[in-house]
This record gives sequence, structure tokens and C-alpha cells, in this order.
Amino acid sequence: MAPSSKSKGAAVKEMEKSDDINDVPSFSVENIQHNMKIVYYCRTFLSIVAGSIAGVLGLTALSGFLCYFVIMLLASLGLAAKTKFDVHSFFDSWHRVVFDGVSQEFMSFVLFWSFAYDIVHIF
Amino acid sequence: MANDLVLDTAIRDWVLVPLSLVMVLIGVLRHFVSKALQSSPTPDPKAFKESQVVIRARYLRGAANYIPLKAFRMRRTYYNNEENGLLHVPKGQAQNMQAQMFSDPNMAMDMMKKNLSMIVPQTLTFAWVNFFFSGFVTAKIPFPLTQRFRAMLQNGIDLSSVDVSYVSSRSWYFLNLFGLRGLFSLILGEENATDDTQRLMQTQMAMQMGGLGADPAKALGAEKDGLDLIQHDWVLPKIEQKAEVVLRQFLDH
Repeated sequence: MAPSSKSKGAAVKEMEKSDDINDVPSFSVENIQHNMKIVYYCRTFLSIVAGSIAGVLGLTALSGFLCYFVIMLLASLGLAAKTKFDVHSFFDSWHRVVFDGVSQEFMSFVLFWSFAYDIVHIF
Repeated sequence: MANDLVLDTAIRDWVLVPLSLVMVLIGVLRHFVSKALQSSPTPDPKAFKESQVVIRARYLRGAANYIPLKAFRMRRTYYNNEENGLLHVPKGQAQNMQAQMFSDPNMAMDMMKKNLSMIVPQTLTFAWVNFFFSGFVTAKIPFPLTQRFRAMLQNGIDLSSVDVSYVSSRSWYFLNLFGLRGLFSLILGEENATDDTQRLMQTQMAMQMGGLGADPAKALGAEKDGLDLIQHDWVLPKIEQKAEVVLRQFLDH
């Protein structure tokens, strides 16, 4: 089932990756994958919510896309805050937290945006 | 002017919502059907042993830099040496395995089942959409597109003066197809059957590689070459000094 206990409302459980060698950073792959799953799950949820918001507000064209990126940015900030801004001890690079999953969830955003927009404004 | 067409509420009630609902339900159905139809293959013990050996060799490759050079070399010889190394496959046996792979029907059946369970519902739904819901404007997408998209998005509508944002049901179907993937991963959990077909195929092939004789000789050979190629670079050269420092700290407290 979906990791419901790890939703963004409740405590997001993220695990440390072991970083015990001073010369060579070593990663615990399972923990990184687990953290990435959490990021992905948050983004999926938020893209649906963002689509509904954009549709209900009646945003069109550029402002709608802007809404998506703003919400994704807020998500990244939230995730970074959850790691107490020490992103490197939870992920292998900060690109993951900010950029990963944004383009994958874009289609879901467009779908729910169109859906909400049509239901509220056209019909 | 960008006229706002007033669309019938009935379209919303009877086209948009049912289409999305049907696609979600079909996706859920497909997920459970593919779970129910999953045949648990009884693995061949010999092939399974080989796949486990390959996995062990892979671990050695990954962690080679954390053990001293001699230990690594000892392990590598264990896998690679010519007489009884685990990864060494004499030429005669290699041919046998090839023949075995082709006569194994399990893999073909599994792939066909996976293929069917993906393609058939999509085709059926598409045909249904085309048959019932063609020839009228279905929805308005909130962003403007250029005229070139008109042919793609408005293929049932024959007026050319209508804004490109007003799309037909076919494009709503495709929008749903791509957009509901995220929703499925939320409600069905990870590893659901509606993910990309390609990715599923890849992971399936990789996992069943050892258990089905799909080129085990090649896998062993590849691991052997990989092991041979490794340059050992020990990353823990001062580990004894560091351990001494830590132990002293413990003893001093």
C-alpha cells in the first residue's frame, strides 16, 4: 500500500546515509532510495493538489505553469527544512531534492488542472 | 475574439467524469488482475545457484575497495581461476545453456501475459472512446497551443475556427492516460502494474535472468570480465591508526 504513515502531514521519516569514511563518501543505497521514494510521493500528491488549485482559481496559460513551479519550489523548501537544511546527509546531491520528479508529475498536474478548470469555469 | 464557448453541462456529467472514472477503475482492475495472474515460476535449482553466484560476485565488485588487496585478490581468484573458479564456464557447456533457453516456454508466456494485460485494456478503451464520444468538443485545456496541434487535438471536430484549446474526447483520453499514472502510484502503492511497460520489462528480464536460463553463460562471463577489470584502490589505508585513536578515546574516559 502507499506509505500512508509517511505522508507529508505526519512525520516524514527520512533515514541517514552512512558517511563513515572521511576520504570517500559512502552511501547506503537503501536509505537513499527510501528518501527518494518519500520525495516522489510528496511531489505526486502536491502536483494533484496544485492542479486542482490552478483549475479552481481559473489560472490560464502562464500563470498556471507558474503556480505549478511555485508549489514545487515550496515542496522543495519543505523537504529541505525537514532535513534541517542538511541535505547532504540525507541525499547524495541537492539536485535530488529540488529537481527530481518535477517533470514526471507535470502531466498529472495538467490533467487535474484541465479537469478542475473545466468543471468550475466552463460548465 | 477568443470566444468562450458555452458547453453543455451534460458533457461534463456524461463524458468528462465517466471517462476519467472508467480509466481509473480499469487501471485498478488491471493491477489486481495482473497480480492474480502472476504465475510463481518454480526456479531451476542449478540456474538459481548460478544467479546467486553472480550476485555474490557483484557484491565483491562493488565493495572491492574496502578490503585489503590480498583479500580481494584471493576472492577474485576463487571466482575466476581456470580450473574450478565459480564463474568460469568451459566452452562445451555454454552451448547447452543456449539451447535450454529457447526451449523454456515460461518466459515467453509471462511476457505475453504482461503485454496483453497492458495493451488490451488500452485498445479497448480507446475504441470505446472513439465510438461513443467523437464529434464534439469535450473540454477546454487552460493553456493556448499553436495551430499545429489542431489536427492532433481536435480530430473529431470539423470547424476550423474553433480555438485550439477546445479539444475532443480523444485528447482527453490521452491526457488521462498520462496524467493518471501519478494517481495510480498514490492509490496502488509502488510497483503497480500500470507503470511504463518498458521499465517493467527491463526489471522482469533482470530479475529472471538467473532463474530461466536466459543466457546464464553470458552473465557469468560478463561478471568474470568485470572482476578482472577492477583496479583495486584501497580507501582505508589509515584505518588502523584511526581505530587506535578511537580506542584511546574510549580508554581515556
